[in-house]
Amino acid sequence: MSEKIGQCLCGAVKFKATPKNAEVGVCHCSICRRQSAGPFFAIDCGDSLVFEDATHVGAFASSDWAERGFCTRCGSTLFWRLKDKSINIVAVDLFDEPGDMVLDHEVFIDEKPGYYSFAEKTKQMTGQEVFEMFADGGEGQA
Amino acid sequence: MGAMSGQCLCGAVKFKATPKESEMGVCHCAMCQRWAGGVFMAVSCGVSVEIEDETQLGVYQSSDWGERCFCKVCGSTLFWRMRDGTNTAVSAAAFEDSANFAFTSEIFIDEKPSTYEFANVTKQQAGPEVIAAFTAQLEKGAEA
Repeated sequence: MSEKIGQCLCGAVKFKATPKNAEVGVCHCSICRRQSAGPFFAIDCGDSLVFEDATHVGAFASSDWAERGFCTRCGSTLFWRLKDKSINIVAVDLFDEPGDMVLDHEVFIDEKPGYYSFAEKTKQMTGQEVFEMFADGGEGQA
Repeated sequence: MGAMSGQCLCGAVKFKATPKESEMGVCHCAMCQRWAGGVFMAVSCGVSVEIEDETQLGVYQSSDWGERCFCKVCGSTLFWRMRDGTNTAVSAAAFEDSANFAFTSEIFIDEKPSTYEFANVTKQQAGPEVIAAFTAQLEKGAEA
């Protein structure tokens, strides 16, 4: 996809990023749901995420290898990323014009509460399957 | 329902609240989408929210009548509330035990992206209907 611009709710955080594809993923893990008040809708932007001004970008380390970004002024959920910033999974609704996106996959499906589910048929992975994918494809422990 | 306890991801903001009913609603409005990284799933708790320590509570005023609260340490999305304090919609996932909530309503359905839809059967309202009902309620409150 081409480079797209996006911003948080208040506009204190503006960025550019190039989604790898039009495939939106949803994470149901309890950490994502707590941080984003429901499932986290995001798109893989690889290492392309660039902030115009990072003054208001807060980052919270939620594990040894990953952190979650938010706007320190309005609280908007921004991204999940590896601490080395090689992978940035960006909240899809931050983009001004996301274009045609499809709901492609749901991860940590084993942590989804019973009270909601999506109508779309997606590729679904458990938390264990996600960790195994990282361990296989990455360099040692992700 | 009785009082339920909840907190943000990192635990800097802890609270107790009594949901008006065990029903959860989803807001699809463009502001909630941007703010919450997708849909905002919340439970109406009226005036019952008691925050243990507000030191790390961030408050962002997003309209003349509403404001959005989050944890300044971990960024967790916590509450949408009326600025006059008359109602707070609390993130369902912030409660320690959210398993018994029933998903019954979707608002601002006209602003939902076409990317997804829920399989649940819910009562759906478009933004203008929500605002009309809300305005009527405010006027009724002002007369009382």
